[in-house]
Amino acid sequence: MAEKDKFKYRVEIQQMMFVSGETGEPSPETTGIIEEMVRAQVVEMLLQCTQLAARRGSRSISTDDLIFLIRHDKAKVSRLRTYLSWKDVRKTAREQDPQGGGAEPGELMEEAAAGVGPTGPTAQVIKQKKAKVGLPWEVASFFSETVPERDDDEDEDEQEANQATLQRLKNADERTRGMTKDEYVHWSECRQASFTFRKGKRFREWAGFGTVTEAKPNDDIVDILGFLTFEIVQTLTEEALKVKEQEDAVAKQSMRNSKKRKREEFLFHAQESRTPIEARHVVEAFRRLQAPKPKSKAMRNFSGGVMKTRLSLV
Amino acid sequence: MSSLPHTPWQRSQLSREDSSTRPDHTRTMSSDIAGDMQDKEEQPDPIMAAFHDRYQLFEKSISALFRSDHPCCATSELDIASLEIADYDMIDVAADRELEPQKPPAPAVRVEDDDYDFDEEEDEPPPPPPPKKPATPSPTKRSASAQSQTLGSPAKAAAAVDAKAAAVTREKLEADRKAAEEAAKRAFYTTFFTLENDRDAMLEQQKLDESDRQVNAEASAAQEAQPGKLSSANLGASSLTLKHLIARIDATRERVEVSDMELRNLMSEVRKNRSKWASEDKIGQEELYEAAEKVVLELRAMTEHSTAFLNRVNKREAPDYYQIIKTPMDLGTVMKKLKQHQYKSKKEFVDDLNLIWSNCLKYNADPSHFLRKHAKAMQKLTARLEPLIPDIVIRDRAEVEAEEAGTAEADAEGESDDEPIMSSRGRKGPGTKKSRKGAPQPREGTPDVKPPQVNLIRAESNPPTNNIDTQMSQNGFLTPTNGTPMPNGVSSLSQLELDHDKMEDTDKDPEYLAWKKITKKGRAKVASDRHRLFRGTKLNPEEPALIRSRIGMAKYTRSIERHIKGIEEDDPIDGTPGAIDGEAEEDEGILLPDYYYPLSCVPELPWRTIWANDEDEVEMPDEMLRLAPRGMFVQPKSELANKIDANIKQLQDTRKVCAKISVVKQMQVQTQMYANQFTKYDPKEFVEKDVDDFVISDNGPVMCANVARAALQRSIGKVFYHAGFEEFQPTAIDAVTDIAVDYFQKLGKTMMVYKEAPMQQQRFDDEEILLHALHENGADIEGLDLYIRDDVERLGTKLNSMCERMKAHLADLLRPALADSSGDDSNFVDGSEQFIGGDFASDIGDDFFGFRELGLDKEFSLSSLSVPLHLLQGRMRNHYQQPNANAVTADEGHTAPSPFEPVTHDLLKSQIGLVQNFFLAKLHANNEQPLVEDEDLPVKQRPPKPRLPPTGKISMPRKRPLHGQGSGSKKKKKPSLPAVTAPQVKKEASSAMMERSISKMSDPGDGGMMSPESLVAGA
Repeated sequence: MAEKDKFKYRVEIQQMMFVSGETGEPSPETTGIIEEMVRAQVVEMLLQCTQLAARRGSRSISTDDLIFLIRHDKAKVSRLRTYLSWKDVRKTAREQDPQGGGAEPGELMEEAAAGVGPTGPTAQVIKQKKAKVGLPWEVASFFSETVPERDDDEDEDEQEANQATLQRLKNADERTRGMTKDEYVHWSECRQASFTFRKGKRFREWAGFGTVTEAKPNDDIVDILGFLTFEIVQTLTEEALKVKEQEDAVAKQSMRNSKKRKREEFLFHAQESRTPIEARHVVEAFRRLQAPKPKSKAMRNFSGGVMKTRLSLV
Repeated sequence: MSSLPHTPWQRSQLSREDSSTRPDHTRTMSSDIAGDMQDKEEQPDPIMAAFHDRYQLFEKSISALFRSDHPCCATSELDIASLEIADYDMIDVAADRELEPQKPPAPAVRVEDDDYDFDEEEDEPPPPPPPKKPATPSPTKRSASAQSQTLGSPAKAAAAVDAKAAAVTREKLEADRKAAEEAAKRAFYTTFFTLENDRDAMLEQQKLDESDRQVNAEASAAQEAQPGKLSSANLGASSLTLKHLIARIDATRERVEVSDMELRNLMSEVRKNRSKWASEDKIGQEELYEAAEKVVLELRAMTEHSTAFLNRVNKREAPDYYQIIKTPMDLGTVMKKLKQHQYKSKKEFVDDLNLIWSNCLKYNADPSHFLRKHAKAMQKLTARLEPLIPDIVIRDRAEVEAEEAGTAEADAEGESDDEPIMSSRGRKGPGTKKSRKGAPQPREGTPDVKPPQVNLIRAESNPPTNNIDTQMSQNGFLTPTNGTPMPNGVSSLSQLELDHDKMEDTDKDPEYLAWKKITKKGRAKVASDRHRLFRGTKLNPEEPALIRSRIGMAKYTRSIERHIKGIEEDDPIDGTPGAIDGEAEEDEGILLPDYYYPLSCVPELPWRTIWANDEDEVEMPDEMLRLAPRGMFVQPKSELANKIDANIKQLQDTRKVCAKISVVKQMQVQTQMYANQFTKYDPKEFVEKDVDDFVISDNGPVMCANVARAALQRSIGKVFYHAGFEEFQPTAIDAVTDIAVDYFQKLGKTMMVYKEAPMQQQRFDDEEILLHALHENGADIEGLDLYIRDDVERLGTKLNSMCERMKAHLADLLRPALADSSGDDSNFVDGSEQFIGGDFASDIGDDFFGFRELGLDKEFSLSSLSVPLHLLQGRMRNHYQQPNANAVTADEGHTAPSPFEPVTHDLLKSQIGLVQNFFLAKLHANNEQPLVEDEDLPVKQRPPKPRLPPTGKISMPRKRPLHGQGSGSKKKKKPSLPAVTAPQVKKEASSAMMERSISKMSDPGDGGMMSPESLVAGA
């Protein structure tokens, strides 16, 4: 089907939405529109990364470029850093001990997300060597000399990262509290959903890697994008849920006002089952997320004219 | 001006305007009434006269109705009365003068001159013509007859009558001028004229001056052709009085930096009472030229019309001019011709003048051309002024004398005749130049040319009412250039206006025009003075300050007092010698209302500023001017500022450590170091310099855009540094400053919008306004708080830890990893404190180890003061060796074995046979010298050390664990030799250290990137 060809991530998006709190079954239309949005975001990110890289004088984008785009989102940055450092550890471990294998990057992402390191006897050994992933805009790069890491300086950054992780886990906990065992299993399966995991090639094609950015991005970037796409879907879903909630509240209000009698007629009217998010909710959510923040238009105050804004990253 | 009451002023102004609407010249009328027949001829219409009288009456009655104490409000009456009196006075005086024989102002001088003249005659062999002598006895008495005689000789029938008429005309003109001046002066108190014409006045004056200069330059250029001998130049009789001076000047001519022309002018000024036109050889020249010059000057002074005629027509401006006009003429040329004595008669002169106007009319044939208007006006003026010139034809004295003596046929006519006389007087040039000025004897010897002109001048220059003119009259000649603003030009213009008002100035107030004329020169001067104060559009700081003079102030107060008390015109007071100190009288000639001297008009300001010097501090207990408080343009003290400053300090310190680390690393890599390889990092502390003391007089904020911007820029620079930029381009900081300025302006604007919301609308209190404004501009409290927490405070802690790590790293680098060998640091405490503290490298710089102080550089003729690493190692080893040896002996009770004796031939015998041959060969190779242990060899001669990692294992270089500097590690090829360790126990540790150092040294692939882990891992 043409439809099927066009949208490649219907299942994944459904799963992600489920993880994000959408219990119903969203229509293909909804997932399609979300997919389009996510793709637009990915393309935008890649474009900006390419620009940044060009400014650095490089033709290929690096993970730093990508992280730079979301540098203000501390939680995401710290998660990415944790993820990258673990991935590094994994790689060295595999090099040293090819048989050990180690988990796949996708699992790693989960582990990082869960804030739990790999367990087992080897993990302890590796943990010691886990190097912090430095970012070019951090204090360390202020100076001309690099300094060896010290084990003792677990500074506030890490604490904050832990805090963010904890908050995240808490949210997930809230969400899964009322679940049955089967539901939980389903939920945790859904959590594995990813745009990139084990389908890197598909993702590359989907995001238009060859055309948007010239160089062939490495796995790290694809992984980061996988993580970010998940975040985007989640944000969109959460926002769309809010929109829907408001809409429902208004509808309920008006129903109460106008159709009181009708309601009484159907005394044993079945409890309204939750309707899934529809495309319009998603669009509205997207609009809200795209609404220009005061910060982005501050410099245009008092100057008039049409303000051109670029797609803001969710 | 301010002291004038308001209403009367307006009233008088009103009446004035009434008068100005009348077509005729009511203002000058008052003087015209003063009884000259010409004026009456001009107004033959009795009806007009009646109207005029009625108008006068009307005006008087108005002022009578609104009489006030101030004279300005009663001017019309007083004017007339006083003017009439004045004018009659003048005429009386003139008449008296005419009747009375002219009395020379300084007869004594003349006598002296005579004497000198005699001297000269005695000095110079060829005696002057004695016939002059007999004429002396009757100097001036015969003036009238002489005049008639002179005039009679050119055969004009009614010469005497003409002369009289001319004299009368002149008097009248003079009187008119005076009247106009008076009127204008009175107008100073009653009418305020705006300053917008000053610029024009200045420009016109400049043009005049320019043309003056040009004429002078041309004239002097002509003069330059002559040899520049003063004594040889024509200085007339002055050469007698000033003979010694002239001789002196001549002797040192090359050192005198003025042209002959200027010198001559100076000379003539020294001898003031002589006209510069006077010539002993030309009869009538003085009179003719005097008058002609005046006419030219007046014509030129008519700047309204004369501007176009001042100089030659430029070919660039009118390319075809010289095709149409064959004989060009202009006022400048006329002046030049005058100065070169080219005119022989009045007719020639007048013809030249008329030629100018007719040229113009001819060239600009278009009847609507604006220049025609000017030319016509000038023509009229010329016609008006023409009778002023006595109708004289200049004749050579010799000729006249010859005529008189009846020996006419003996003397030929023309200038060539002069030559024998002149050459006999030692003059070189022919008499076309200005001749001797007023040589007394000849002048007195020719009383027949005593002109009416002189009489006229005396008569009119002694009016009791004008001290300016009094002053002038002492000079003996009244040329307008001497400071009176074009007296005749004005009067004649006022006359002209009567005729030609309709032509051009119908819409203008004649009074205003008169005012303009009279004050023109003064205004031009003031305007140019003012102009000089500016450079471009800014004040010129080089110009001297404007300081008000006592004279100016005194004058002003006097005039005000006089005005208030109602005293009429000024002269009695002004004239009193004590009233004004003799200082700056030069302005006296300039007639200007007081408001042109604002400095003098400003009343005394209450002096509330007290600059009391308090030991070293200036204290000002007043509310007017005070020193601005300091610190307006520096960062205010605050918690945040302190934190930021601390962070910056920390950054600098850390960078310092960084620099040391890089130096040490470099030293480990290279065997040779040069002083310039040490990147010196010596940051200066950030000190915000305040602006210099400045004085403010207000309570508002100090507004100074560029200073504020500079301060902002400085703050932004700090933020940059704080954000980790060590240096930045000026353009970057400029751009960011612009953005910051823009942003803060927007913030301020937003706040203003909220603040100035109309009353009816809901208003916020200040806090809300601030929050709203912040929100509108994309900032909020949380964001700011976050910034402070994250980017300032946490950055501070991060920097601290970073600094600690840097220091530790440096210590690690400097201290060979000894801790492992002895298990604890205790043996390292005493002597090597400096390594740990990093003091060791603190003085990295030119003289690293004080080599220069020791004079080693000279001794070894070192090209640089580099410290080879082996020296450094030696030092380090020594430092280490000492405590370590102690430790060993202390701990284990071992005594150091005695050093091996060097192997010699003698010792060889005692060795076992196996090695004897080996040592023998070695000795042989060593030229039979005792063998030295490798350790004791000079550093450079040592064989390469065996490299052994501290693990004792001989292995291939290890792959780097992290940070993928793979390329570097692959490149390096470590030559690891088999271990030939020295067996000595005591040296074990040191050799281990040595190996480490050497392995570091021979690790060029790493360069500055050498990762510290390798060291740690190795240990």
